Amino acid sequence: MEPGTGLQQRRGAGGGLGSAGGSPALSGAQSRRRKQPPRPADFKLQVIIIGSRGVGKTSLMERFTDDTFCEACKSTVGVDFKIKTVELRGKKIRLQIWDTAGQERFNSITSAYYRSAKGIILVYDITKKETFDDLPKWMKMIDKYASEDAELLLVGNKLDCEVDREITRQQGEKFAQQITGMRFCEASAKDNFNVDEIFLKLVDDILKKMPLDVIRNELSNSILSLQPEPEIPPELPPPRPHVRCC
Amino acid sequence: MGPNRPMSPPRASAAPSALPGSGYRACAIMAVPCAGMEAALAGPGELVCERGRNRKAVLCQRCGSRVLLPGAATFARRELFLPSMKKKTALVAGSDPDGDVLQEHWFVDDMFSFENIGFTKNVGNIKFLICADCEVGPIGWHCLDDKRSFYVALNRVSHE
Repeated sequence: MEPGTGLQQRRGAGGGLGSAGGSPALSGAQSRRRKQPPRPADFKLQVIIIGSRGVGKTSLMERFTDDTFCEACKSTVGVDFKIKTVELRGKKIRLQIWDTAGQERFNSITSAYYRSAKGIILVYDITKKETFDDLPKWMKMIDKYASEDAELLLVGNKLDCEVDREITRQQGEKFAQQITGMRFCEASAKDNFNVDEIFLKLVDDILKKMPLDVIRNELSNSILSLQPEPEIPPELPPPRPHVRCC
Repeated sequence: MGPNRPMSPPRASAAPSALPGSGYRACAIMAVPCAGMEAALAGPGELVCERGRNRKAVLCQRCGSRVLLPGAATFARRELFLPSMKKKTALVAGSDPDGDVLQEHWFVDDMFSFENIGFTKNVGNIKFLICADCEVGPIGWHCLDDKRSFYVALNRVSHE
């Protein structure tokens, strides 16, 4: 389906996949009388960020340090997920992003996280070889639990630490090339521009692939009732040709 | 949310919930207002339009991250306890270092109405809302018992 066509069909149906709880269509008179309500999001997408301990997953989501504000809330309670909005090619996209920091054991991130993710950002640290060597194990989890249609993005983080680099860019590119549809980039947590690029790149890939009527209202408030499944250590699949390999 | 959504506060079915040992609680709210109380509910005129919605964008106090666009939320009065956002040394004299009972909030019924917002893990049956970009907070409150109510405290955000 051409994205353009899909867009027209969606709007023609009076829809708003972004309008769960959003405002209904206004008549011209109503619009003039009061301020137009904010434009609802065009799409909602779910993204997870995974990777080994210490690769800087959380810092991809931007952090500040400040002497007056304490981060007690975050440190003691922990962050569950975030809603973030990006604009891409004139479309407004709401992302629901699950950062799995603190659950770096491969089998402790429950399958529920993987299953509903439309985008998966897999992070390693370019200055720590072991985090790169861990990637196949993460890929096994993705193969086992993630949707076939999930977009994958490999991120080599800590680009600002070039002097300590242990993994070359070529190595990262080569790993991504082995997996169908996996994109690759390097990033620096200190550089916000790179961070935006990461999400935009991922969202771009997701939107290109996805039939628009599938996106409609898939995400709702019920995401908060997502109960992690009981901790069953997943069996690693027996060695077999990589599903996503080209 | 329909165009004629009443200005009344959320329904009074929420029982006070006390989490053991934590001091976090949500108090019962006011009953549906009668005419005389309308003015009191209207909220700060500079921030709340005549329809009860936010005139200005709601931003993070620290990093300016955009939480809500103008018109995305409605003003609501509800007594909610939010743990302190600032370090003890930065608090003004007399304020409670543990947190504040706050009355004035921006209310949305769908978490996807937010431009950018973070949710903490559960504290009992409560999730706190934090800035999506710098993670400062709590700036808001959500009870899992009511999946269509999200509050952002006016006191914990900036307006532009």
